[in-house]
Amino acid sequence: MSYFSFLVEHGSTLLLGTVTTVKVLICATILYALISIIFGLMRVSNNSVIQGIATVYIEFFRGTSLMVQLFWFYYVLPFFGLSLEAFTSGVVAIGLNFGAYGAEIVRGGILAVPKGQWEGAYALNLSPAKRMRRIIIPQIFPIILPPAANLTVELLKATALVALVTVVDLTFEAKQINAITWLSAQCFGTALIIYYIISRFFLVPFLRWLEILAARKIGKEKI
Amino acid sequence: MNAEWRWDFTYQILPKLLWATLNTIMAAGIGYAIAVIVGMLFLLGQRTPYKVINIIVREVVEFIRSTPLLIQLFFVYFVGPQFGLILSAWVTAMITIGLHFGTYLSEVYRGALEGVPKSQWEACRALNFSTIYTYRRIVFPQAFPIAIPGMGNYLVGIFKDTPLLSTIGVAELFHAATAVGGEHYRYLEPYTMVGVIFLALSIPAAIGIRKLERFVNKAQGKVKN
Amino acid sequence: MNKFLKSIGVFLVILFSISTVSAETLTNKLKNGGKLRLGFGTAVPWAYAGDNGQPLGFVNMIALTVLEEMGITEDQMEFKTFEWSGLIPGINAGRSDMITGGMYITPSRCKSMNFSDPIGVFGDAMMVPKGNPKGIYNYADVIKTGAKLVTGAGFNTVAAAKKYGVPESQMMLVEGEVGILAAMKAGRADVAVQTLFGGKEHVEKSNGMFEIADPKKMPEETLNVVGMGFRKTDTEFKDNFNKALAKVMANPAKMMKRAGKYGYGEAQIQPAHMTTAWACNR
Repeated sequence: MSYFSFLVEHGSTLLLGTVTTVKVLICATILYALISIIFGLMRVSNNSVIQGIATVYIEFFRGTSLMVQLFWFYYVLPFFGLSLEAFTSGVVAIGLNFGAYGAEIVRGGILAVPKGQWEGAYALNLSPAKRMRRIIIPQIFPIILPPAANLTVELLKATALVALVTVVDLTFEAKQINAITWLSAQCFGTALIIYYIISRFFLVPFLRWLEILAARKIGKEKI
Repeated sequence: MNAEWRWDFTYQILPKLLWATLNTIMAAGIGYAIAVIVGMLFLLGQRTPYKVINIIVREVVEFIRSTPLLIQLFFVYFVGPQFGLILSAWVTAMITIGLHFGTYLSEVYRGALEGVPKSQWEACRALNFSTIYTYRRIVFPQAFPIAIPGMGNYLVGIFKDTPLLSTIGVAELFHAATAVGGEHYRYLEPYTMVGVIFLALSIPAAIGIRKLERFVNKAQGKVKN
Repeated sequence: MNKFLKSIGVFLVILFSISTVSAETLTNKLKNGGKLRLGFGTAVPWAYAGDNGQPLGFVNMIALTVLEEMGITEDQMEFKTFEWSGLIPGINAGRSDMITGGMYITPSRCKSMNFSDPIGVFGDAMMVPKGNPKGIYNYADVIKTGAKLVTGAGFNTVAAAKKYGVPESQMMLVEGEVGILAAMKAGRADVAVQTLFGGKEHVEKSNGMFEIADPKKMPEETLNVVGMGFRKTDTEFKDNFNKALAKVMANPAKMMKRAGKYGYGEAQIQPAHMTTAWACNR
């Protein structure tokens, strides 16, 4: 079977899977971004209880493997009365896992804001919440976005794991076609190329654009 | 549906899981050793005097880095034999991990080399040191401490990606948990214990890497922060 | 900031729109417009998904015919493809409502879920390279020759091999039928054990690289019945299914037409003594 006829026959199936992969990517990215900011802030809190909770969360999710978390969410959590749909399980597991890494990036970003900015905020007698929101957070984006971009590319790759818990994504479809047609080179090769295209021509340019936007916003022209 | 935890079952499966943990550690160790070397090759491949080769290697690295390890494993495992490349699940896994993480390590090396101040190079040239001597005595000793944290992180990273190997039948920890869970149709204890074992191994590893980092910095006469 | 917090809240609520494991019985769930989720693996020609997720394979065909007899149409169903080893944990975790993968009724599985009445009797077979160079026909031969035996994680054959004394060092567990054929094609194993149907499919797919070792030389007791799986709590639905199954089996022409093209035939109809209770208590 030529590659062209393979694409004619199975291309639409792979594209449908790709749509699901992109959905997982978008939902998990939003979730992990929120978690990163919340737990990153908690991590630099003066309250030792809040800081402790964040530390435990981060160490726990970074210390166990994403695949273990994913299977645990899907097959074990229902026994505790919480049964998330396969798609949701996948998004939540990925979001929580990457949120733990992201929180450390956010923490680094907050600590990297120059001391003078903090002092200025103190001098103006801003409340802690206002200080964070108005002064510190806008300045951390140019610092955290480059490492966060790398992490987001990692997240795209990690979405492939949801195929193992019945989510019908690109990897799932490739596995399925392989199981039935045994055209391994075509289906896995095509899947690899699609992931590459998503990453190289959509995700990375978008993240670069965000970086430039963030730099411009606080008046630092980038490049 | 019950969430009842069965200790007798836990004790029954624990020896099996612990044995499989040895396989996990071995897989991570061998995979890492390959990645360390492959990383150097990838770096060299991007720094040859031939521009075409540099570009090709860079694109290959970029491709491997931006596609999922899971599908790469499937690809090598299923497609290899069709081209006469018959490898056991273990060898497939080690090669794929080596290539995948080699791309990351080449980036770590590159960053470390670029972290050595230009003035050091200039001084060496002024002193008329040979290139090899410059690398061995001046550049590497300075680049190494810069590379340590990154290298350590990827060791832990490989360790945490070893469950993926179960999908092609490498008998590591996660594979053992799935097998034992599939036999008794209970996943609660096996998967929870896998998580516990991972935590028990990766936290000390992370602490060890932090200590090593500090030690190397001190030995270099730099005190961090 | 409040707006921001609110949108986070809304997002989390949407994300966690939880479908809790309800105490509602399957029969009631369907009455209230819920969907019946059929779970199966990828085991050609037993049960597998087509390009658009549609159910294929003879077990699915039998299930669909019986469910139609019960008045449940295809648009009241959902189809989910699992890894084989995830099927039983999946149904118990509420991930599917009925297993149509084509599972043998075995004592250990009976402890974890309920089975419908049998849909037929099937056997296992060894698949070996063409010409059977090592002369392997059954588990005893595997032990004698020291050959590497590949089979699927969670397959009935794992327990069977253990029972006949195949040491763990000679066993190789892979994910599903795909894993078995991959291992054999690459020469990673010397012999595979799976259902006769699955083995025949492999032989066909591999253009004569392999052959089925004479299945009559397998131990007699590896002949076993297959049924649909249900959660222990869904007895009412299972009983209704059995009633409809009996009706279909009494007049099987329609079902045979659908399942027949996957190789299912009269030869599969089990003798009367091979009931689910019999298989559960062997």
